[in-house]
Amino acid sequence: MGTVFSITVMGGPDLATAAACAFLHQADQDFSPWIQDSWISRIRRGEVDLAAAPAPIREVHGLCLEALRVTDGWFDPWRLPGGFDPTGLVKGWAAERAAEMLRDSGAAAAMVNGAGDIACFGRPDPERDWRVGLEDPFDPSRIAMVVEGWPAVATSGTYQRGLHLIRPASGRPAVSVRAATVVGPRLWLADALATAAAVAGVGAGMEMVEAVDGYELLVVGEDGRRSWTSGFTAEAAA
Amino acid sequence: MRRYQIVLGATAAGLAGVLSYHTVSGGTGVTLQATGNASSAGSSSTSAPAGSSSTTAAPTPTTAGSSGTSANAPSTTTTAPSVRRAQGTEEEYRYGLLELQVTVSSGKITDVQPVVDEATDPRSAEINAQAIPMLRDQALQAQSANIDGVSGASYTSAAFEASLQSALNKLGR
Repeated sequence: MGTVFSITVMGGPDLATAAACAFLHQADQDFSPWIQDSWISRIRRGEVDLAAAPAPIREVHGLCLEALRVTDGWFDPWRLPGGFDPTGLVKGWAAERAAEMLRDSGAAAAMVNGAGDIACFGRPDPERDWRVGLEDPFDPSRIAMVVEGWPAVATSGTYQRGLHLIRPASGRPAVSVRAATVVGPRLWLADALATAAAVAGVGAGMEMVEAVDGYELLVVGEDGRRSWTSGFTAEAAA
Repeated sequence: MRRYQIVLGATAAGLAGVLSYHTVSGGTGVTLQATGNASSAGSSSTSAPAGSSSTTAAPTPTTAGSSGTSANAPSTTTTAPSVRRAQGTEEEYRYGLLELQVTVSSGKITDVQPVVDEATDPRSAEINAQAIPMLRDQALQAQSANIDGVSGASYTSAAFEASLQSALNKLGR
């Protein structure tokens, strides 16, 4: 993944955070297509069979199949340059798993932020829920909106890495979505849905997420227009 | 007690580290503690020594804007001059070389600026030009009151955080 994770944790033993960090490092080693001897790299080169891979690899592979189905093929980690690449889901999966580890070890609340894909549980304060600011995709130094109380928040877009999202059907980059944010109960799926919505374009993305129970989408088009699904709520940032 | 930790995903160079931000009860001041080490991935990281004091009830992390404020912050670190700067080590990463300067004022990060930013190719330079301000803003926003995190399309440089880490170490945080 080669990315930055930040962890905010309330209560629980310090060792739990260390264990969550160790897990994230291991996930990077296992899943990074940029690490030559990662499991994913070896699978991409056809050197090993999926069946021989450790449980987390097989689990993520299964989630990719599920995401392919739920997104009607818009999220397709098999149709990418170089072969199978679960990057569009694995960061969310890893952050979510790290949060689960913290919860299981007794933390009262935590937020794990994998470079903008966020999993949280509990409350940071008895008075309020976790609050996540959404970047303005035309001015990332600005927070455009704030969402509150969602266990999972994932954003995908074309504005920070250039055109890194590929349309499965054509193999060409998607350009019509500037950024897509998906909120819901599970981060691995929110991550995949956000990736899929950014690839699908505004209209198809809206239709896709509207059909998935418990998940909501906010999408910003390259024209600057915002659209959101029926259950999406946010407040404008101050 | 609120702990804020930035944990690096391993980079090509295998850098790792943890930053802990401790809010003092009373809420307005954010002290910073760098507890990471630049060891490689594996087991070593964390176990923040300061974390042991984590008994007090979580204060509302409703700090106001990032600089200047801080009515009742002095409950910690009084000896420090109010504004200090330190530069991190140069960190090599996949796309070039990056060195950061961190400014800490009254126990808070008030600015993070690149000092050396030599990307290896034009595309990387372009990415850095976008990513560095974004990461700085995230570091600053994470300390601001009314949000706990920022969601945005991701490009992240672990080298940024590693250099930030070492800058904080030099500040004795």
